[in-house]
Amino acid sequence: MSTTATPGATVEPGSKSHGRSRLLGIVSNQQVLLLIVWLAMIGLFTALNRIFFSVDVAGNVLLDWGPVVLIALAETFVVVSGGIDLSVGAVIGLSGVVAAYVMQDMTTKGQGQWPTLLVGLVVALAVGAIVGLTNALLINKARLVPFIATLATLGAAGGLSIVLTGGSPIGGGPPNAIELSVPWFGPFSTPVLIVVVIVVLCWLALHKARLGRYTYAIGSNSFAARAAGINVQRHLTKVYVLSGVLSSLAGMFLYLRLGSGAPTSGAGMELDAIAAVVIGGAALSGGVGKVTGTVLGALILTTVTSGLIIIGVAPNWKQVVVAVLIAVAVAVQGFRRNEGASA
Amino acid sequence: MTSTSAPLYEVRNVSKQYGAVVALDNVSMALYPGEVVGLVGDNGAGKSTLVKCLSGAHQPTSGTVLLDGVERHWKSPHDAIEAGIETLYQDSGLAPHLSVSANVFLGREVLKPGILGKLGFLAQKSMDATAYAELERVGIAVPSSRRSVAQLSGGQRQAVAIGRAVTWARKVIILDEPTNHLGARQAGEVLQVIRAAKAEGLGVIFISHTLPHVLDVTDRVVVLRLGKVVRDAPTSEFSADTLLGTITGLIDT
Repeated sequence: MSTTATPGATVEPGSKSHGRSRLLGIVSNQQVLLLIVWLAMIGLFTALNRIFFSVDVAGNVLLDWGPVVLIALAETFVVVSGGIDLSVGAVIGLSGVVAAYVMQDMTTKGQGQWPTLLVGLVVALAVGAIVGLTNALLINKARLVPFIATLATLGAAGGLSIVLTGGSPIGGGPPNAIELSVPWFGPFSTPVLIVVVIVVLCWLALHKARLGRYTYAIGSNSFAARAAGINVQRHLTKVYVLSGVLSSLAGMFLYLRLGSGAPTSGAGMELDAIAAVVIGGAALSGGVGKVTGTVLGALILTTVTSGLIIIGVAPNWKQVVVAVLIAVAVAVQGFRRNEGASA
Repeated sequence: MTSTSAPLYEVRNVSKQYGAVVALDNVSMALYPGEVVGLVGDNGAGKSTLVKCLSGAHQPTSGTVLLDGVERHWKSPHDAIEAGIETLYQDSGLAPHLSVSANVFLGREVLKPGILGKLGFLAQKSMDATAYAELERVGIAVPSSRRSVAQLSGGQRQAVAIGRAVTWARKVIILDEPTNHLGARQAGEVLQVIRAAKAEGLGVIFISHTLPHVLDVTDRVVVLRLGKVVRDAPTSEFSADTLLGTITGLIDT
């Protein structure tokens, strides 16, 4: 068998000039490309308006980035598993609203800030987990494709938020909670620092732990995963619950930023999540995607938004820029795949 | 074939119906330790269905499955794998985005020792090294066990899939068309791996359309036609012509 296998190792393209192929390998690495694009954006916006390069703007970009990267991380797990979760934005609204009601009630009864926020967090996480579990049941038991299952929960959770609130934001929680969103460590505020920790945990889970390995295996070839003895349905349940939980954390993040739970606070954000994941190099066909790519994808999205405002371009142009970024990212991915470069 | 020993793996009077379609009709066959049994038949003869019943992917409508003489009811492939039965499915056994070692260890990941392992962290370096060594032991060399399967040639992928099956099988290996899409030399090497597995005392069920390979490597041939076993005889009783005739029904059985 050794004679079969070894020729493959030597007929690799570009092996005659090892140094050159190595350099190409680095440049064709999606993460490095994204980092270059992001730094170039910062340079461009700074050149157009000096104000852009400041701790204040960076702090704002990071506050925008927090909820986006949370739902984008949620989407990364789901997309790597070969599915899609359209309900992430609706979970932000619903978890924020339900938690806001509980926190309003506790504050009225004279409870302190920290117990109130803690209970609010637990309630928000429970809402996210329930929506995630519903998605998993629809996919595993009712045999809906993920797109339809999560479209249904997107509608249900979004509608429920409006029904519960009549459309208005729910305030009356701990009065000083909004101050937690003020940056104190350079551009970093406490919620943003917590998000950074969550990013690291997600990286460990997806790239270093069995949870991530099964997620890739199912997205790559779910038949092979099942044949290898993996309980595919049980694992997908974990993935969709994790997605709901991460999205509800984004709901809590926005609650702290706005000081209230708004039913529409996450409306349409599922598209930001998908955009960040795709720009980050994930393939909607499953089996491909990295936490580092998603983090950079979300950073690029939020940097564009702030940058366009600061250089005085109408915010609606953001959609156009994001659309171009997605198209370019996917085209580059396809090009790299045809070249046979490693992911 | 050691006909004096007890069967290792056996199906008795197994039938499988999909609605009104009878895919398997009262099929019985036995596999002995250190024996290679060829399973042949035309398209639609029921080979794939029988493989699925043997590997735990499907449950027979009626009849019994026995491993070491004990009746077993596989609820999923997981059960059969646990019991020492490895199956190589036609074409779709590997996750192309994962590395060679991740595929070899798929479903059997080794975790880090201590608290990290309890948290689900993978012992990646140790799996990479073991996968490489295990594949080499069963006679398969890959450039690097960290390389993703998508980057391998068709022959190398098949080699990895077979290597995985041979590495983990404790009792039975089921190979569904393992020499498909392979060149003559590569196919010869696959047959060599099968002989090595036989020498280790494993039972091998070899499904193939390539009759010369069947005649070359098997001890006994079971011929299926329209869901029924029409012939079960030592390979020495067949020539290429009589085997083909039996499969197509030109030779009465």
